[in-house]
Amino acid sequence: MNNRVRELRGASGWSQAELAERLAVSRQTINAIETGKYDPSLPLAFAIARLFGEAIEAIFTPDP
Amino acid sequence: MNAPQPSPRRLHGCLIAALAYLATTALCLWLLRQPLAEAPTLLRAGVSLLPVIAIGFSIREVLRLVRASDELQRRIDLEALAVAAITVGLGCLSLSLLVGANVLAIEGKTVLTWILPALSVTYLIARFFAQARYR
Repeated sequence: MNNRVRELRGASGWSQAELAERLAVSRQTINAIETGKYDPSLPLAFAIARLFGEAIEAIFTPDP
Repeated sequence: MNAPQPSPRRLHGCLIAALAYLATTALCLWLLRQPLAEAPTLLRAGVSLLPVIAIGFSIREVLRLVRASDELQRRIDLEALAVAAITVGLGCLSLSLLVGANVLAIEGKTVLTWILPALSVTYLIARFFAQARYR
């Protein structure tokens, strides 16, 4: 799955650690999501979407 | 919201449980060899199972650590646990086949004693590799 988490985080000016803090997950989880090594659970994906004020499908898209 | 981190209290709990396991193991080995060598079977059974109580506490502490971690950490723990269970299970099966074929001569007591330590060590090794995969 592809995602725009790194792009949105960069636009917000947050570090991985800051985003992790806001989502109550570890920095490793944010890094794994950004690098596409880990697909978040639905609740975490919704939390990410809510935090960035975007629709979930605008952030996470299936592989072509 | 705070990012989930293993609290020092929980880590202390794990350390205390591990120390309790070592202490009860040493104590029960000494008791069974010296003062309780000729004691009734029920008493010997009770004393010999003392380390299991400490292991129970350590399992509880590890479960608390896992519950305090986030979803990726839980996945890593689950993968490592699955790998450890399959590896040790296959190891035991291989040993039993070799013993059955009279290639090896191992006491059942020795194998039973080493299952939990083997599971723990294999879990730690598997966890290291699983963690590296998501880095």
